[in-house]
Amino acid sequence: MSSPNKFPSEWTLRRLIAFVAALGVGVATYIAIADSGGGAPACIAGGSGFQTVADSSYSHLLGVNVAVFGIVGYLLLLASAFLTSDAARFGGFVVALGGFGFSVYLTYIEVFKIEAICQWCVASAVLMTILFLLNATRLIGYAGAEGELAADAG
Amino acid sequence: MPAENERRQRLLQLATGAVFLAIVAVAVLIVVNSTGNGGDTNLEGKGEVKRLLKGIPQHEMDLGSLKAPVELVEFGDLQCPVCRSYSEHVLPPIIETKVRQGQVRIDFHNYVIIGKQSTSAGAAALAAGEQGRGWNYVELFYRNQGEENSGYADDEFLKAVAEGAGVKDIARWQKERKELESNVLGTSGDAQSLGFEGTPSFVILGPNISGGFERLSAPDPGALEEAIEEAVEKAS
Repeated sequence: MSSPNKFPSEWTLRRLIAFVAALGVGVATYIAIADSGGGAPACIAGGSGFQTVADSSYSHLLGVNVAVFGIVGYLLLLASAFLTSDAARFGGFVVALGGFGFSVYLTYIEVFKIEAICQWCVASAVLMTILFLLNATRLIGYAGAEGELAADAG
Repeated sequence: MPAENERRQRLLQLATGAVFLAIVAVAVLIVVNSTGNGGDTNLEGKGEVKRLLKGIPQHEMDLGSLKAPVELVEFGDLQCPVCRSYSEHVLPPIIETKVRQGQVRIDFHNYVIIGKQSTSAGAAALAAGEQGRGWNYVELFYRNQGEENSGYADDEFLKAVAEGAGVKDIARWQKERKELESNVLGTSGDAQSLGFEGTPSFVILGPNISGGFERLSAPDPGALEEAIEEAVEKAS
């Protein structure tokens, strides 16, 4: 196994993941609430990118608001940050990878299909990208390690 | 440490596989969306539209008697999913009662919100209206609406809707739909002048309405139904 010394300690990575995932839960929850209670639905001309995106047919998957999938994903990532097993490292990586891939797809839809940018959706995509990088670093640096490797001193 | 190393190698191999799968999945999703669902000319809802509109007079984009005391002007975009929802769930009860009874007529005006194909689709509906099939066109389009700006509303789709809507002279429809694109832009300008920011939006005209008309910018369905009810009461 390569030396973990060149990586930040797993302790640091886990806390960063927990912090960013908690922010993600907040952002995704805001999107879900704003979408469900934002007054009468309408297709909006220019200006309000959020409303245009929220009212588009792409905003739901199998009848469920995509923001709800986001909340679930961020909660799973938050939970993975509290565990130190390989299952948590790999599970966190897979969830973050899925979230990152889905964010890429949704950003493509916003730019090229709906032709409107929702700032909160961009914020969520940025958070998911950061989480993907953090979880990838955690997996590469600490996969196979027993428990939590110690600290920044490394 | 060998067991640890082995576990690590296995996890990293799995992770590499997962990354590969994710790249493939995203690429497939994007390709499927970029090709759109155009060319699907198996139209749905023809019977439903025919039943809804049967026996109701149509003149250009007006549905209902021209003598109806109350006029409901709808500003819609044929690519707008919220307009489709109104078309399927909110307007039918109004059409089946107040329009059929001659109390209200509905005039569809295009308000281009979504994209370029909304203009050609709107003009196609106007050209169908020249042959008394405007509302059949609008209603059938909504029932076969695809994803916004996915390219589905191409010439083939527009023609299929025209045929499905019962437009008799397709050659005339083809000629007139090109000429009517400026009309679509004109009504879009009207909507902006009225201060509408989204679709569907409505204007209700009728006797005894304060100021002569009432404007409803992207109202919720209940507010629209209530406003129509009030306008009919004031007219009677």
